[in-house]
Amino acid sequence: MGLAKRKAAYVEYAQAVPLKYAIDADSCIFLQKGKCGACQKICPTGAVDFKQKPSTETLNVGAVILAPGFTPFDPGRFDNYQYANLPNVVTSMEFERLLSASGPTAGHVTRQSKDHGEPKKIAWFQCVGSRDQNKCDNSYCSSVCCMYAIKEAVIAKEHAGDGLECTIFYMDMRTHGKDFERFYNSAKEKGVRFVRSRVHTIDPTPDESLNVRYVGDDGQAITETFDLIVLSVGLQTNPAVVDLAKQLDVDLTASRFCATDTFAPVATSRPGIFVCGAFQGPKDIPQSVVDASAAAEAAGEILTPARNTLTKVPEKVAELNVNGERPRIGVFVCRCGINIAGVVDVPSVAEFAATLPYVEYATDNLYACSQDTQDALAQTIKEKKLNRVVVAACTPKTHEPLFQETLIAAGLNKYLFEMANIRNHDSWVHKNNPELATKKAKDLVHSAVKKVALANPLTEAELNIAQSALVVGGGISGMAAALSLSRQGYPTHIVEQEAQLGGQARNIYQTAKGEAVAEKLQELVRSVEQDGNITVHLKTKLDQVEGFVGSFKSTLAGNKGQTVIEHGVAVLATGGKALTPTEYGYGKDPRIMTSLELDRKFMANDPVLDTAECAVFIQCVGSRQPDRPYCSRVCCTHSVDSALQLKKRRPEMNVYILYRDIRTYGERELLYKKAREAGVIFIRYALDHKPTVSITGSKVTVQVTDHVLGLPVAIDADLLTLATAVLPNRDERLANFFKVPMNEDGFFVERHAKLGPSEFATDGVFLCGLAHYPKPIDESIAQGKAAASRAITLLARKKIFTSGQVASVDPMVCSSCGVCVSVCPYSAPSFIDASARMHAGKAQINAVLCKGCGLCVASCRSGAIHLKGFDNDQIFAQVAAINWD
Amino acid sequence: MSEWEPKIVSFLCNWCSYGAADLAGVSRMEYPPNVRVVRIPCTGRMSPKFALAALREGADAVWVSG
Amino acid sequence: MKNLLELMGIEADRIHFSWISSAESTKFVKVVNEITAKVKALGPNQRFVKQAAKVA
Ligand SMILES: Cc1cc2nc3c(=O)[nH]c(=O)nc-3n(C[C@H](O)[C@H](O)[C@H](O)COP(=O)(O)OP(=O)(O)OC[C@H]3O[C@@H](n4cnc5c(N)ncnc54)[C@H](O)[C@@H]3O)c2cc1C
Ligand code: SF4
Ligand code: SF4
Repeated sequence: MGLAKRKAAYVEYAQAVPLKYAIDADSCIFLQKGKCGACQKICPTGAVDFKQKPSTETLNVGAVILAPGFTPFDPGRFDNYQYANLPNVVTSMEFERLLSASGPTAGHVTRQSKDHGEPKKIAWFQCVGSRDQNKCDNSYCSSVCCMYAIKEAVIAKEHAGDGLECTIFYMDMRTHGKDFERFYNSAKEKGVRFVRSRVHTIDPTPDESLNVRYVGDDGQAITETFDLIVLSVGLQTNPAVVDLAKQLDVDLTASRFCATDTFAPVATSRPGIFVCGAFQGPKDIPQSVVDASAAAEAAGEILTPARNTLTKVPEKVAELNVNGERPRIGVFVCRCGINIAGVVDVPSVAEFAATLPYVEYATDNLYACSQDTQDALAQTIKEKKLNRVVVAACTPKTHEPLFQETLIAAGLNKYLFEMANIRNHDSWVHKNNPELATKKAKDLVHSAVKKVALANPLTEAELNIAQSALVVGGGISGMAAALSLSRQGYPTHIVEQEAQLGGQARNIYQTAKGEAVAEKLQELVRSVEQDGNITVHLKTKLDQVEGFVGSFKSTLAGNKGQTVIEHGVAVLATGGKALTPTEYGYGKDPRIMTSLELDRKFMANDPVLDTAECAVFIQCVGSRQPDRPYCSRVCCTHSVDSALQLKKRRPEMNVYILYRDIRTYGERELLYKKAREAGVIFIRYALDHKPTVSITGSKVTVQVTDHVLGLPVAIDADLLTLATAVLPNRDERLANFFKVPMNEDGFFVERHAKLGPSEFATDGVFLCGLAHYPKPIDESIAQGKAAASRAITLLARKKIFTSGQVASVDPMVCSSCGVCVSVCPYSAPSFIDASARMHAGKAQINAVLCKGCGLCVASCRSGAIHLKGFDNDQIFAQVAAINWD
Repeated sequence: MSEWEPKIVSFLCNWCSYGAADLAGVSRMEYPPNVRVVRIPCTGRMSPKFALAALREGADAVWVSG
Repeated sequence: MKNLLELMGIEADRIHFSWISSAESTKFVKVVNEITAKVKALGPNQRFVKQAAKVA
């Protein structure tokens, strides 16, 4: 980004996969001038090849997924922000790097002017290169910049302490994502200042600080000085990607994002080509991850017949029985080139290892992980009849599986293995202290040897996965998930409590893209009903669920009595509903209605729509307030769209929208713009000055204090629409059945807020749609497909092996106290049935459910539980092996 | 013996602190070499007995981190 | 657990607990430094080493 210089040999970034160096041809002296070549000479593995040339390869594929992402807007063209001239005006991307521990300033925020001073006052300017048609051509909202600006401000304050003043200048604060509103509220509490104003000019001061002129809430012009200004730049499609789309004959929207339909959110205009991420429209990480899974699913539907036709199956080696043998340990100490050997005296560590009890063989390797060393390792295991192995190298978190593969190839159980982390935990962090680092390495190796000597071969439970799915909820996300599962060959059951499929979508008139929902919904319902692979159970609820990933057994209770079905996975798509308001006179007058009730009028072509003189919408009814501190995400777009519909039918109608922030994120912003152009009047109110509604005689009057004028306005409304909050269909029993968590608001909690949005932490259970968080139809469908996609990755394996490192109970010692049953977060322990022949009433642990955390082991007062692979004696031995000198 | 250096045995959760320690290495940060790491699957696995064992075996302190 | 150890005559600063997520390498280093410094201040552990202790 130009914040710091990159060397000719570089790693893209610290988390890059693979974490390997590459050569930057533009700054390499050898490639530019034919001189130097030092790296080729010193590289111990001969990995540097200057002769590599770009080459073109032709691949034959069944589907293509486009994920080319976005380019941050370049504010250099904006003369009013003078980004190009003023060093202390930076983009948000640059600021991210300044905050990053692996960035050019190691996370210490400094000014970019020559003084490199610590800023005391930082300002963020929102919507730079977004929501702006005059200075740039991007009239859409970039969706993510409000949230990232708040995050940057909060982190900056965390790094620099409370003394740092952070101010965000914005138009509408758009924190419409899950838990984002809470983050916004807490940022305010932490002292981040929010100013609703667009800044016009920046003037530099002599000390390279920046004077900012803006109009305050009361209409007064204010000048304030900041040390650093961050431009919250928007997302846009790279021109090269626009060309690519042309080449591929894929349609784009007017804003140059990939065009898709609401009901097919990851399909491009060209069959077989799918899209995900920010090229489909500006979006954040969770939504991009949802899209990615959905696109993989869509491609998978086409590829189903070809599944497993190109896989190669490795040869299986029979496992040697080492039980009862005395340990014969092999120790392999890795130099990791100079990574370890440059600090730690590797040969002396290997020599030391050779002196330890049970060690039969010890050596050092240049790169223990390279293929030839792996082969040699397997060979040595066989030749020296080793039955335990220690590798002293990098971290087991990345490399343990690799070495375990080698053990398996040599016929050893993979749990007869231990790693000593002498790189990440030693040579890399003590490079100025080689002597102590070598001592530490010896201790770590000693520990590992002691531990592995006590290791036993472990077996992994093999689990067949029932090749069928259960979807709870027959709304659009549930139906989308079921269709995906069925099309990829898995029989699927839908359980729906109502008498018909469709859920909330039945109440919605049209989408933001103008598609009639009823029509598309009917098509969707028809394809579900006609799908021979899908069984729909209407008016049915779950009565009981037994089992776990791969083999669930659910009892359905419907009007035809009970049925039991077996399924390998479950998708929870229980959706949500609109709040029934208790304010603004709702229920007291037929002219006062919810958004969905207005939609019903549209669908029924109610004559009042053509006679009303004045329509008013009140936003955030029940949302974004202390008892429900989240944004319902769909209501702004919904009301703006309905307002436009009213204007279209009857241009002379006065239409008002009373709002707090308009959150028409992404290309929905274009609707907002259109509504303003069509004459819809937007009046902002504050939470502590909510509008009031009075019903007197024949009139419904709405009173609101206009923020710009500061004056109360009274509007007589013929139609008063309340944009109500979206609530989840909270169901504690269902959550208990599948052991999945719900948040305070009643939405389900996903495995990971960013990276695992469509699955639960509980294996084999997935989620989508409104049950996860309020979202529009396109996002619900994408998540339905995503949940199916995640489920299919599991189903397609047919069998899974659980870890061998699990807890087990010694029934002879167990006192049946039940502590383990109550502490286990995964419900793995249970009591053996009282009628069982053996050990009745004692605890037992289900190896499939156990995650090996060891909580029960530590809490068992009788010492009856052992954790295989991390048993007490092993840990004691490890501790005892630490010598210190 | 030069200056006395404390001996600390640490029990690190595989998923959290152990990963942080790995990353500290990747980032080439430096810290005193007084710590010996025992990897445990989760801090739930930690038992007071391990801490006592470490102290008995001559450690000056124990550090448990999740 | 800390109480238990104190009961047995071990100084509170001989045992430390912390919570560090796998991304917080800076915090990790900070904690290592802090603990090392604290224990240094405390001096060697003499109460409980094997030779002296009869209890297991
Ligand atoms: C007020 C409001 C306005 C909206 N406006 C728009 C808009 O303008 N544009 C837009 O695109 N989207 C809008 N949406 C969102 C849209 O409705 C959703 O994205 C979509 O319908 C969600 O589908 P779903 O399948 O997740 O949930 P739902 O449609 O709620 O379906 C869930 C289904 O599960 C069933 N169910 C629940 N619990 C159980 C159980 N325990 N057992 C069996 N069955 C169960 C329910 O009966 C229901 O049929 C709006 C939503 C609301 C509430
Ligand atoms: S309103 Fe939209 S474009 Fe503007 S800063 Fe917020 S998210 Fe970005
Ligand atoms: S009306 Fe809905 S989408 Fe708009 S800000 Fe309020 S809760 Fe969010």
